[in-house]
Amino acid sequence: MFRTMLEKPNTRTYPYQKVDLPLRFRGKLDIDPDKCTGCQVCSMVCPAGVITMVDLGTRKVGDRELPVKRPLFDLASCIFCGECVDNCAFKALEMTKQFELATPHKEDLIMKKATVR
Amino acid sequence: MVRRTIATVRYQILQTKEDVELLLQIFEALVFPGVLFTIGVGFLFDWLDRKTAARMQGRIGPKIAGPSGILQPFADFLKLLFKEEIIPSHADRTIFLFAPALFLLAPLLSMLFIPILALSPIASFDYDILAILFLLAYAAFVVSVLSYSSASSFTTIATGRLVLQYVSYEIPLVLAIITAVLYTRSLSVEGIVAAQSKLWNIFVMPFAFAVYIIALMAELEKPPFDIPSAKTEIVAGWLTEFSGRALAFLKLTKEVSYVFGSALAVSLFLGGPLGPEFSGVPIWILYFSYFMVKLLAVGFLIFVLKTSMARIKIGQATELFWKILTPVSLGQIILILVLIQGGILVVS
Amino acid sequence: MSETTKKVESAGLMKYSTENLVPFGPIHPALKEPEYFKLVLEGEKIVEVIPRIGYVHRGLEKAAEMRPWVQNMYMFERTCGICSFVHSLCYGQAVEELTIYEVPRRAKYIRLIVAELERIHSHLLWVGLMGHWAGFETLFMWVWRDREIVLDIVEAISGNRIHKSMNAFCGVRRDMPENMEEQIVEKMKYLADRTRYYREIIDTEETMLERTEKIGKVSADTAEKLCAVGPMARYVGIQHDVRLNDPYAAYDEVPFSIVTRNEGDVHGLLRLRLDELIVSTELVTYAVKHLPEGQIRVKIPPIIPAGEHSSHCEAPRGEIFYYVKSTGGRTPDRVKSRQPTMANLPTALEMLKGLTIADVPIVLTAIDPCFGCMDRMSFLDTETNRHWTWSGEQLRQYGIKYYKQRRT
Repeated sequence: MFRTMLEKPNTRTYPYQKVDLPLRFRGKLDIDPDKCTGCQVCSMVCPAGVITMVDLGTRKVGDRELPVKRPLFDLASCIFCGECVDNCAFKALEMTKQFELATPHKEDLIMKKATVR
Repeated sequence: MVRRTIATVRYQILQTKEDVELLLQIFEALVFPGVLFTIGVGFLFDWLDRKTAARMQGRIGPKIAGPSGILQPFADFLKLLFKEEIIPSHADRTIFLFAPALFLLAPLLSMLFIPILALSPIASFDYDILAILFLLAYAAFVVSVLSYSSASSFTTIATGRLVLQYVSYEIPLVLAIITAVLYTRSLSVEGIVAAQSKLWNIFVMPFAFAVYIIALMAELEKPPFDIPSAKTEIVAGWLTEFSGRALAFLKLTKEVSYVFGSALAVSLFLGGPLGPEFSGVPIWILYFSYFMVKLLAVGFLIFVLKTSMARIKIGQATELFWKILTPVSLGQIILILVLIQGGILVVS
Repeated sequence: MSETTKKVESAGLMKYSTENLVPFGPIHPALKEPEYFKLVLEGEKIVEVIPRIGYVHRGLEKAAEMRPWVQNMYMFERTCGICSFVHSLCYGQAVEELTIYEVPRRAKYIRLIVAELERIHSHLLWVGLMGHWAGFETLFMWVWRDREIVLDIVEAISGNRIHKSMNAFCGVRRDMPENMEEQIVEKMKYLADRTRYYREIIDTEETMLERTEKIGKVSADTAEKLCAVGPMARYVGIQHDVRLNDPYAAYDEVPFSIVTRNEGDVHGLLRLRLDELIVSTELVTYAVKHLPEGQIRVKIPPIIPAGEHSSHCEAPRGEIFYYVKSTGGRTPDRVKSRQPTMANLPTALEMLKGLTIADVPIVLTAIDPCFGCMDRMSFLDTETNRHWTWSGEQLRQYGIKYYKQRRT
């Protein structure tokens, strides 16, 4: 017991001391809008209903008019499971190391990056 | 004209030497080393307690209030003073609000009998050990009344445990104190301290010291004896219903009794403020430093014991006190008397 | 459970005067999760304990019927924080049996590693809690400091400390990180040494012994009759361990021994769980060293063929049992999960008879309760103080009647 007194204490004085996170840490979602094609798989697999597809117009493919959709993320409901990341065939989504997401305004947590043209 | 009056008054007050003495005495009693000093040391002990316990457990302890968290107990006290007081509807209002102050009186008054700066304490007379014993019993009585006054289902259980524990620890504690009295043939703290100028009492009666420390831990409700305020079993025990100022005073009383208990141990067994004298250093500084060192040593002993043990049940605690500690302290008294009679121990 | 309910209905709570009834919970510092226990006392001795559950019921089984199969995996993972991986594992196994796909061998080993890591963290948490309720704060702090080591390993593997989200149907979602082998082996060895030290502490520390010895004695027959599972069965000597009796996820390939004790008191439970911890560290070391190569996941289509299947696993608390019924759609038709605390609760109430209030937190924590997992709905009529439960069919009839009344 006296030995423990002389050792360094185990507490990390967060927030004065930064915590080092492992590689696979599942933090806030981030999307690369250039890689996203609007295939909607992420919104179908999300268990928490975070992703909604937003209509952004249409585009011509051959002689058909196909709708163009992009995902809108409401990160307040995200459970950080990573299903969307795993299922994205175009590797557009990734989980960053950012975890300090507390904010008094819910609108801050809506990620609109991909829906802005 | 006001200025002239004040000057006259000041001139008249400091006229005689006795007046200066009186002022000094009031200062001693109220500030140092009396009431304010005791409260300050109480906060210091609380901070030391939390810091050493934390370090032994691999944590940090209080950190933010003041350098290294030293102002934390004071901050807790202040915070409690500002909080709202919620009194249960079926509790006795008068006792609830007034008794904590009465409870605080006991250890504070008792501290005045402990010599700190010199051989003779601030208040002393020939039988002050009796006064101290009375104040201990009075404190136990007030605690029982306090605990009973907040009548809820948890506190009733706590009251039962509390009374049982207080009844059990008191006899070994008193017997340990009596051992010191019997050996030094003096019923005043000053006399006992003076009698230890050659040899500290702890070497003569080590068992009494051990019994005293264990009984003290029961009085202060420190683990393994924190049964009446068992945090995880009956919410907060008898402290449950108190909030705001009442709780602030109760916590303060706990800390002050910690200081007083250790101070009494130092005076009775460790020779009080006595120690080797150096010329050139004013005597009261020496006495004060020795006293503080010994006080911190006793306090540290209790911290270590407290951190390394779990809490025992009330049945087992009473067994411990009645079956083991009381006979041991009685045995110590008999041993001392026999040794004195046989001439082996010389009474100084 | 039904035995206790019948007793309550027939005896009626009016038999006991209010002075002797001490309410324990639902909110109490000794309980992590709220459940209401009415302790009937005589002086300080407990004569009977009448439980009332249903405070944290979330309706997960009903919610499961409305979600696709994969989303249910995440939902059941969040039934409990401490045994989250085992929940998703059990559910995953039950559903995998309905498909034609096999789980790859490497995935089975990784599942074993994570499940055993979870067992280590859960037992360490439990030992710390026992110290805390007994008043032994130092043990609590030290054990939880060692638990941080396990949580760091889990975070390095899966990205999250508690809700690991590692399971997928027919496989695991993430592979073991490279170069972690020596680290894991070293840390397991450290944990095993620390656990032996803690075992020494609880064996020799007088105050802990006084709190836990001879408390909570239950005979082996009573435990078996009341369907105790997991450590609650093993501490009276019943050799019941799902990993041994019905191996799943590579337990048949990895050598291990189960631990039983014969003392039948809370101290025996302490020793049992600490020994199990040491066995788990050995399991993890073996599995990490013998990890086979191969893929970690087989992707399966989102529609599960019709059928019904059940699966059980050894959670840190006992036996978890999942029953899954599919009618060939995107969502399950019925999922039922039975958690070990549900099975252990009657045994706990038996243990409490004849003890004092000071022992209640110790005993209730000794069964390692996870009321959040186990909760069910129960009905209480506050006027007549009648307490009953309904079957699913009765609930459905009541619902139909209620909505019919509302419509008219």
